Amino acid sequence: MFGLKSIFIQSVLLSSLFLIGCTKKQDLTEKVIYNVSAANLLSLDPILCSNVYCSKEISRVYESLLEFHYLKRPYTLVPNLASEMPKVSEDGLTYTFKLRDDVFFHDNACFKDGKGRKMVAKDVVFSIKRLADAKNISNNWWLLDGKLVGLNEWRTKYSSKESNFEEVVEGLKAIDDSTVQFKLTKKFPQFLYSLAMTATNVVPREAVEKYGKEFTNHMVGTGPFITGEFKTKNKLVFTKNPNFRKKLYPSEGEPGDKEKGFLKHAGKQLPLVDKIITSIATEAQTRWLGFQKANYDFVEVPKDNFDQVVLPDLSLNSDYAKKGIDLMMEADLDTTYIAFNHDDPIFKDNPKLKQAMSMAYDHDEANKLFYNNTAQLAHGPIPPGIAGHDPSFKNPSKVFDIEGAKKKLAEAGYPEGKGLPVLTYEYKADTVGRQMADFFSKNMKKIGITVKTNGNTWPQLTTKIKKRQAQMWGIAWVGDYPDAENFLQLFYGPNSAPGANGSNFNDSLFNALFEKATVMQDSPERTKLYKELNGYIADKMPWLFGVHRQRIFLKHDWLDNFKFTVFPYGREAYLDVDLEKKAKLLKNF
Amino acid sequence: MKNYIIKRLLYIIPVIFGVCFIIFVLFNLVGGDPTHMLLGKHATAQQMEELRRTLGLDRPLLYQYFDIVKSAFTFDFGRSWNTKQEISTMIMDGAIPSLSVSLPGFILSSILGLIISVVVAYYRGRKIDTVVRIACIAGMSISSLAYILFFQWFFAYKLSLFEISGYEYGFPNFLPYILLPSIIWIILSIGPDVRFYRTVILDEIYQDYVRTARAKGLSEIVILLKHVLKNAMIPIITYVVIQLPFLILGALLLESFFSIPGLGGITLNALNSSDFPVIKAMAVLSAVAYILFSLLSDILYTVFDPRIKLK
Repeated sequence: MFGLKSIFIQSVLLSSLFLIGCTKKQDLTEKVIYNVSAANLLSLDPILCSNVYCSKEISRVYESLLEFHYLKRPYTLVPNLASEMPKVSEDGLTYTFKLRDDVFFHDNACFKDGKGRKMVAKDVVFSIKRLADAKNISNNWWLLDGKLVGLNEWRTKYSSKESNFEEVVEGLKAIDDSTVQFKLTKKFPQFLYSLAMTATNVVPREAVEKYGKEFTNHMVGTGPFITGEFKTKNKLVFTKNPNFRKKLYPSEGEPGDKEKGFLKHAGKQLPLVDKIITSIATEAQTRWLGFQKANYDFVEVPKDNFDQVVLPDLSLNSDYAKKGIDLMMEADLDTTYIAFNHDDPIFKDNPKLKQAMSMAYDHDEANKLFYNNTAQLAHGPIPPGIAGHDPSFKNPSKVFDIEGAKKKLAEAGYPEGKGLPVLTYEYKADTVGRQMADFFSKNMKKIGITVKTNGNTWPQLTTKIKKRQAQMWGIAWVGDYPDAENFLQLFYGPNSAPGANGSNFNDSLFNALFEKATVMQDSPERTKLYKELNGYIADKMPWLFGVHRQRIFLKHDWLDNFKFTVFPYGREAYLDVDLEKKAKLLKNF
Repeated sequence: MKNYIIKRLLYIIPVIFGVCFIIFVLFNLVGGDPTHMLLGKHATAQQMEELRRTLGLDRPLLYQYFDIVKSAFTFDFGRSWNTKQEISTMIMDGAIPSLSVSLPGFILSSILGLIISVVVAYYRGRKIDTVVRIACIAGMSISSLAYILFFQWFFAYKLSLFEISGYEYGFPNFLPYILLPSIIWIILSIGPDVRFYRTVILDEIYQDYVRTARAKGLSEIVILLKHVLKNAMIPIITYVVIQLPFLILGALLLESFFSIPGLGGITLNALNSSDFPVIKAMAVLSAVAYILFSLLSDILYTVFDPRIKLK
């Protein structure tokens, strides 16, 4: 009765139905942000997280005393758990914070009756002492190392015995339930930035004690979203905190924000969405295809897909625009560079050699090859967007001039490269790292410098830098906070390896001027000094300066208020999903 | 046989000592300094020294080596230096997703491979045999990455037949997520499987006992299935069973592209961050699994060939 053909057709139809049933449909009954993380999450404990990926997840649940204003640029600190900006003593050493009185921890089994209690000053002190506790092995301790009176002593005292969190530390005091006071060992205006970072998020002692080493999997904070136990390591689900305090969407931003629709939700209670779902997808193709299928609301455009998305005039390809996809291109706070190890006598007192190498390097071609010609060439270490960056400053060595480079090389004592040994360039052994290494080596060959390239795993490369064994290497520095000090400290002699100054540049004049700048409050005088230091470094060339990179994002038009920020911590509380628009646009996918 | 099994199990002891020695040497000579990775870009010499003390890396090397041996024998690997998660939990959580992709793929590819091999062995030297051989070689010549990129793009993205990536714990929630990776696994495995099984079967087909069977008037299909296949089982069992430990360890690329939180990804992360306790756990686990499964294959020999006695 049933022929073979009929059975075959039915089987194919049934299989197709089964397979089609395998792909999920999106729920449009509630506002959900579908987010994708490009890296696995190392830890969800604020003191143990030191990268942007886990910081973004953590900051949905935990909060700090301060935060960056969501809309204002340049980046501006505003109170978060603090009720106002701190009162700073005349000597600039004491910072006194008043706390908000409407902040409560999330309901959790660690509290009496499972009801979240009010956050008080002791919680702030406890959280910062946790960061200082040597037994916790926090990679964020550098933020406060040597900065608060008595905190290093407290750390040393309890480094190998149970910590006494009740012991009063002079530089870190809960004056009363709503007042916290910090005393600095020396002036350091950048201190406030550390109080806006995830490492200083406020955690309740009850949760730390109840969950012990498992605290990293139980997030109990004060923030706009709550989450359950972190069990499924490839996905996190955050739901709106129903008891979140009154916190409103800002009513002012930078010029142009209103026109761009960033003030549409001004004055509305945060968070604006019901849920955030973060999926982990470590491969660029996976994230890219997922975004194009509308599985994620926004994505960073992978380097290899750039030409497919962005036209030569840097506008969005109409195929994407028609689907309701928006393009965003913004400068990151970073500088890429090739570092020279100044322990090596070849580089130590020979700026002309490094200048020659910079002039032999085809910067424009590198920008085209590795950054789709979107990056801004770096003339010095300080990136755009922060005080100290001078857009009019041109580094004389930042030109592609082979003849000039040869002349400089001769002046450096190595005519046509003669007398110069084979140099070694270390790189992280991935595809782009290898291409960059070959490009550098090929460029240097043009003026007679032979460069041997050497691939490393990331741990091997960092070890070589920290142990001062690398001669030259390609790397980037991404700003921890929006202050030029964070970039200039990379040339400060006392910070030499294993510190952050991997190139081991040590110049007494620079050191003295840097020390002067670090204790100055933000002022035109300090900006002038930063510019001078930037110029000085550009001349001495401890690095072959690369570029300041651009971040290129695509987002679906139903996602509102998505404004690029270098510090995207807590951003999702400000985002909104236009469900009506989404229902309409989803038909395009 | 009991004595043989005990003897083989006892072999685990020197093997663990050896594995521990190798990973200890590699960690100290080749791997980067974990304190640099753990403390990040701002680490100071003092902080690194403190951390070295906390992790016990300042103690004499012999002590450190015996610590590794101890944790290998007790299977207590502590917590990851990097994620601070308990390693046993990480392994348990990762093994299930890894197995949910690799096991169906492995079973199906083995069965399919065997069926195809029997068919091509039956039709040896004819067109179908040539086509299958060429297809196998062509399939094996393409890199696994190319298969993954193309299948994910075409079947999941273009045709929307599968999920692009993701994973849900629990049956049947994980099914939509493992279908495509499992199919890719089958395609990746089928080429080498068929070529190996075909060779083994053909080796048997020219044996004297097959000629005798033919002379007795047995049909070719009966000879293949009843006699040849049974005798070919010894190398096939070795080939199949020895792959089993690697199923648990996961398929790195598949897991990475399909965002499956398996053991492959855990191992890669550990290697990239000098997370020694995790590297140590995975190395010991592989070694022990390898020994246990090779013992299992020895035991299975006796089932398929009663002439074999384990002494």
